[in-house]
Amino acid sequence: MGMVIAAARTTTHHGTGPASAVELASRAARACLARAQVSPSSVGVLINVGVYRESNTFEPALAALVQKEVGVNLDYTADPAPASGFSFDLMNGACGVLNAVQLAQSLLDTAGAERVLITAADVHPGGDARRDPDYPYADLGGALLLQRSAAPGAGFGPVSSYAGDGPSDTEGYLDTAATGGDGRSRITVRRTEGHGARRAALAAACTAGYAREHGIDLDRTLVVGPGAGERARDEGEPHTAAPILGYLRAVAAPRPRGRDRLLLVAAGAGPSAACVSYRPEGW
Amino acid sequence: MNTSTLDRHSRLEALGAHLPETVMTNRELTEGMSAVRDADLRRITGIAERRVCDPDPAAAENSFSMALAAARDCLTASRYEAADLDVVISASITRFTDGGRFTFEPSFAAVLARELGARRAVHFDVSNACAGMMTGVHLLDRMIRSGAVRNGLVVSGEQATAVAQTAAREITDSYDPQFASLSVGDSAAAVVLDASTDEADRIHYIELMTCSAYAHLCMGMPSERGQGIALYTDNKKMHDRDRLKLWPRFHRDLLAKQGREFTDEAFDYVIQHQVGTRFIDYVNQTAEAEFEAPMPTSLATVEKYGNTATTSHFLTLREHLRAGTARAGSRFLMVPAASGVVTGALSATITNMGV
Repeated sequence: MGMVIAAARTTTHHGTGPASAVELASRAARACLARAQVSPSSVGVLINVGVYRESNTFEPALAALVQKEVGVNLDYTADPAPASGFSFDLMNGACGVLNAVQLAQSLLDTAGAERVLITAADVHPGGDARRDPDYPYADLGGALLLQRSAAPGAGFGPVSSYAGDGPSDTEGYLDTAATGGDGRSRITVRRTEGHGARRAALAAACTAGYAREHGIDLDRTLVVGPGAGERARDEGEPHTAAPILGYLRAVAAPRPRGRDRLLLVAAGAGPSAACVSYRPEGW
Repeated sequence: MNTSTLDRHSRLEALGAHLPETVMTNRELTEGMSAVRDADLRRITGIAERRVCDPDPAAAENSFSMALAAARDCLTASRYEAADLDVVISASITRFTDGGRFTFEPSFAAVLARELGARRAVHFDVSNACAGMMTGVHLLDRMIRSGAVRNGLVVSGEQATAVAQTAAREITDSYDPQFASLSVGDSAAAVVLDASTDEADRIHYIELMTCSAYAHLCMGMPSERGQGIALYTDNKKMHDRDRLKLWPRFHRDLLAKQGREFTDEAFDYVIQHQVGTRFIDYVNQTAEAEFEAPMPTSLATVEKYGNTATTSHFLTLREHLRAGTARAGSRFLMVPAASGVVTGALSATITNMGV
């Protein structure tokens, strides 16, 4: 049996307060549950793959905070009909969503969960990405609700991961030795000259490798690559939510003639890349 | 449900660790603090000393270097070479590299895989507070059981005493939300999993859950008052009796679904999260009342290593197997307790694990 996307959503920051990855992820997650008409208690595992977060919080997993906002397994002992939801953060730069898709396949296959919710939200730790000209990413959230499907031929293929030649072109860190009480609002993202071209080359190599490995005809495939979700320059680049944004754009547009499946490709810091094919139900 | 995957199991194939050589006593940690005396710290936590990363920057000992050392130690005890690994999962909470950089990307796992030579391994970090390594083992177990991969490495290096340094500077009294930060220690651990072929070496089950109503009880982030990172814990609510009932209730229900009870499991040893000696006693007492059964022998290392965060269960397992204070061929129960709050149970028989 295959695994399909039951719902997908992205969220942007609005309002006057600081942007919050927990809020963006939770809003996208709730919208997915509403769209699929399923309750929070039907989510077995929640995987949050965002990298940059409010106040540079490192504990607990942001997934636990998202889980609380979404209302999954609040208190096992207090609930008369307990459902034991589990959550954790998965971090792997731009590839988080695809790594989480791979884990979701194993979790569903081993009856570890009926549904898996993936959230991907990044915000500048200071609360507004536009105010830091050296920070390249957008304050953007997304969510994917995954479940099993009996529809023949629909759903995800296997996920493949790739490692590029190091060192990483992109490094994001907090220099704790240089902070003096402002560590919650600072972040450094360093990218080497030519990183964009090298990322595109890695993505192209992975796409070709995946097609070869899994016998996929690229002439019949719509490739949703790492640049597919690019937004206006002043808003910053989508980061971990990019595959969700790219997927939503691809299925919202008319299906290109002769192409009956998507190939989602992510590439970034590591250098790491990942690919997965996806055939939407009824596409 | 694919029934064939339910018959498959993984095992703990090899276990490694790295402990910094530098020992820090309570007296050394609390020196210059007026709010907490070393005797009080010992009385409240049961901890006598902990290991800390070499304070000399030239030594470049940090979360990453310790994780790499533990992974190499583990591979020495394993039948696998790095190049054989299908998966590398890193689970550090504190992702420090050289010069006090707290890393968000690239993942530690990507860099560790490259340094080790695990070129084709699927790699990613998990971050799940002190349940991080347990989370990594849970995911790797599922990947192996589903047939997606054959083996993998879960590793974690924790420069946890970064929060202790901040606490030592900022704490005003023993009720301070940073008090628990004084109990941590630095370390790294790594474990290799592969498919189990007989019951003598098998993870029988590993199930985890997060009760998110309590997600805000322990928060870690940079200090607002100066340099460094800090951890703020509501100890009273975090270790409230109702919180401690979460594991036994969850575990009891899990077993009940299979028509089993705690005593049927015939555990030889239990390893609780190494928060402190009194915490461990309290969890075991609460569980005895809930299960209406005696607890197996409880293993600990907290007195000499402190609370080592993600590595605590695996460090404790390794110490006791190497010292002969835990017997090979036994059945072990490991119980995580982490911010989130995360709890659950890992049940494994360990006989031939490289250690």
